[in-house]
Amino acid sequence: MKKSFFAAAAAVVLGAGVAQSTFAQVKPEILVKQRQAVMTLQGKYFGPLAAVAQGKAPYEAAAVQRNAGFLDNLSRMAWDGFDPSTRNEKSRVLPAVYDNSAKFKEAASRLENEASKLAALSRTGDEAAVKAQIGAVGKACGACHDDFRQKQ
Amino acid sequence: MVLLCVHASLGLAQADAKRGAYLAKVGGCAGCHTDAKKDAVPYAGGRELKTPFGTFYGPNITPHAEAGIGRWGEADFLRALRSGVRPDGAHYFPAFPYPSFTQIADADARDLWAYMRSLPPDGRASRPHDLNFPFSLRFLVGFWKWLYFSPGPFVADAVRTPALNRGAYLVGALGHCGECHTPRTVLGGPKRDRLLAGAAKGPAGKSVANLTPAKLKKWDDNELREFLLGGITPDGDVTAETMGEVVRNTTSQLTPEDLAALIAYLRSLPALADEPR
Repeated sequence: MKKSFFAAAAAVVLGAGVAQSTFAQVKPEILVKQRQAVMTLQGKYFGPLAAVAQGKAPYEAAAVQRNAGFLDNLSRMAWDGFDPSTRNEKSRVLPAVYDNSAKFKEAASRLENEASKLAALSRTGDEAAVKAQIGAVGKACGACHDDFRQKQ
Repeated sequence: MVLLCVHASLGLAQADAKRGAYLAKVGGCAGCHTDAKKDAVPYAGGRELKTPFGTFYGPNITPHAEAGIGRWGEADFLRALRSGVRPDGAHYFPAFPYPSFTQIADADARDLWAYMRSLPPDGRASRPHDLNFPFSLRFLVGFWKWLYFSPGPFVADAVRTPALNRGAYLVGALGHCGECHTPRTVLGGPKRDRLLAGAAKGPAGKSVANLTPAKLKKWDDNELREFLLGGITPDGDVTAETMGEVVRNTTSQLTPEDLAALIAYLRSLPALADEPR
């Protein structure tokens, strides 16, 4: 009796799980839209940081910390949007993203690492180190754009 | 007063290494002639340039007698820039952008040479290029030159303003922007009717942006200036690292007047659509 209850429950859970993953199959065009939104927001928070690093804007610790924190979170969000199903969607992505996914993953991790370092540094308040690290984040963005994004 | 006059006339007669240092930045010489490694010696060579024809390695151009160009005279340097020819008479591969550098004004070339002579010599040996057959045959470059290379100095257009001519000179001669931003034929020659219109597969197979107003019109002058100074677009987007390096080495180093002239010249180009991908 008990056993059959658990079996039924397990079946329901598993069934639901399968159904979930079927329904969770997000359409490729939506994945593209979402990952582009992440990139747009990364630009929103990186732009002011770059201005600080380049001396065009004053160093305000609270704002830097906030922007670096948002960027740190955003830096991990885009990658599952480059699902193989999105290969033929209209975007500036280069085929290398799908054909050389190991290298793409490496470029993605580089950004995640640099962004997380920046967030940590921004809490210490060491202005020179933060500015240098903003440059490192910019290089991580640029290195990936070099290999994996079509120029405009 | 007399002393001042003497000093000024000497300055005119002698090449100016300080001015040459600025011109070397405009020419982006350090880009190919310095290894990509951290703390690499500037101009001691080693940087790799991957192309469909094989891999080139930027040579050592410090004044070291054996490893660099220490035994060169000014005439050798001028001939290398203008004619793409080594002191021993062999052709340079056009990875060395002499199709652009041939347009460099005499005074600028001499100042560049004075600057090159002022660098500390470094003994790092230049690495031989690693090219695919038949591109490894240096004499074939003679044929390439016959097809694509037109030697001769920059000629100012009398109809254009001095600023536009300055911009054209910066972009076309010293800056050699077209070496990457103008697409090439399968033989590696520039497609002249597609001047600065970008390429689907440029150096290292990477795509290169279209610099004609067809694409640049969406940025105003201030946005374009900020991009060339910092490598960041108005929406916080970061340029690809290949151009990021050019921004750091060259465009961010330009005088405000030169930067404005460069932008004005790009605005004056005929608008060309992107290459088919």
